[in-house]
Amino acid sequence: MSMEQARKHFSPEQYFAMSERMLKKHDVASIWLHWFNAAVWLVELTTGAALIVSRPYTFAPPWVIGTVGSIFESRAVMLRFHIAVGLVWIAVLALNGIFGFRHYLLHFLKNDLMLDRDDLRWFPAKIAQILGRKVELPEQGIYNAGQKAYGSVVAVGTLAIMITGLVMSFHLFGIGWVQWSIPIHFVAVGVVLAGLFVHVYMAAVLPEERPAFFSMFSGKVNELYAFMHHRKWWREMKRREAEFKKELESLDGRQGDDGNDRGSGRTS
Amino acid sequence: MARYAMAIDLDRCVGCGACVLACKGEWNVMDGGARDWVIPILPEGRFPDVASTFYTGLCNHCDEPSCVPACPTGATYQDESGRVRVDKDLCIGCGYCVAACPYGARYHDARVHKVDKCDFCAERLDPDPHREPACVQTCPASARIFGDLSDPSSRINALVYGSPARRLETAEVAIGPNVYYLGDAHHVDQILAHHPPDPHRTVPPLPGLVWSRFLRPAVLAGVAVAFAGQAAAFFYQLARGEKPFGE
Repeated sequence: MSMEQARKHFSPEQYFAMSERMLKKHDVASIWLHWFNAAVWLVELTTGAALIVSRPYTFAPPWVIGTVGSIFESRAVMLRFHIAVGLVWIAVLALNGIFGFRHYLLHFLKNDLMLDRDDLRWFPAKIAQILGRKVELPEQGIYNAGQKAYGSVVAVGTLAIMITGLVMSFHLFGIGWVQWSIPIHFVAVGVVLAGLFVHVYMAAVLPEERPAFFSMFSGKVNELYAFMHHRKWWREMKRREAEFKKELESLDGRQGDDGNDRGSGRTS
Repeated sequence: MARYAMAIDLDRCVGCGACVLACKGEWNVMDGGARDWVIPILPEGRFPDVASTFYTGLCNHCDEPSCVPACPTGATYQDESGRVRVDKDLCIGCGYCVAACPYGARYHDARVHKVDKCDFCAERLDPDPHREPACVQTCPASARIFGDLSDPSSRINALVYGSPARRLETAEVAIGPNVYYLGDAHHVDQILAHHPPDPHRTVPPLPGLVWSRFLRPAVLAGVAVAFAGQAAAFFYQLARGEKPFGE
């Protein structure tokens, strides 16, 4: 939604007030997991690319292979390091999934990945918008349909990378599995990496989405951004805010009654 | 720098298999695996043109080894003296190289999930270049001769260049083996007739082929398009500029 459209809904005072008011988008656990994941990707992508040196399969240019390789005592050490970091990654994500099953994993699978009817309408509308047509995008939840689709790709890709990595490292199920695991590992990384360029650009560089980038540090986005980009989620937050307010008011009322009683007790 | 090679005199080989036992003992070769082998080829032909020999073979340490490019991690490599070796610490045991050897000179060691093969006893020779590979030292008939082919004063140089030495090559597979066969030419013909290098085994197995021929170009193209797309978007953003409010 453009600024002009937002101005139709709000007075200038409301508009500026909303750009100051913050809504909580991410839990601390999610923020740490995101940056842990990003760090692991950086390390594993560079070492993994530097491990494939044979010409028919290479992914990285020779200077990258040489530079990354020179950090380690030998390429065999780099291989052990790549496997060790991968195992830590699997362990952390698995523990996160086990302990955070109800609050995070289930929520992520149900709310952050599943596409609803508006999401399905979002794709053609977005394409039309990119092609220059003036189209109103359907209202979106906490993540838009594009983010959800990429989230699904990352989820499937992550599982594929983990399983094939374990098969290769521990020779599970026999040599045929190991032989197929290498290209599958490679393709899964490639598909996630292609999307990663778009993900990083959209989050860290595109001005319209910049609040989303900072929310990965603070956990919060301003209400105006939420209204303009994730209106369905904004409505939900406003509804929950109103409920919470009501709850506080009722508590206040009860406490007021209790306080009066106690007060009267103390004074008597 | 030395250029190691081996010559096998088929006129001297009696097929006793001592070389195979010495190799198994020296390198703890897995049951069912082989770094070298002796296969009898039974008498053929009619008297007086009867020929019989032993195919005594090992890794040929080829000049253009097909196993080296097949290895994704570079664990299989050719060292400066021409020996084709396996860095066991870097080997992930995928077996791509096993499928890519036309001589069947490699095996997958299921005990450690690594690939093993003859390396001309590099670990014996490197600390002491005067030693010989275990098979050469053990051969009671002195049928195996090992040395530096680039040294004009070496015995192997004299044998390879001074006699009609032949290599196990065919029109389809000519990758420069560095194991030379001496003796009756009929015997080499017999070996090539019964155990020719397999022209279908010069490339990795199906997963490696699918990866190198289809998946790698597709993934590289996809990543390049994504990168170019976000770069174009960034340049558009630069041209458009940013607003102080309303974004």
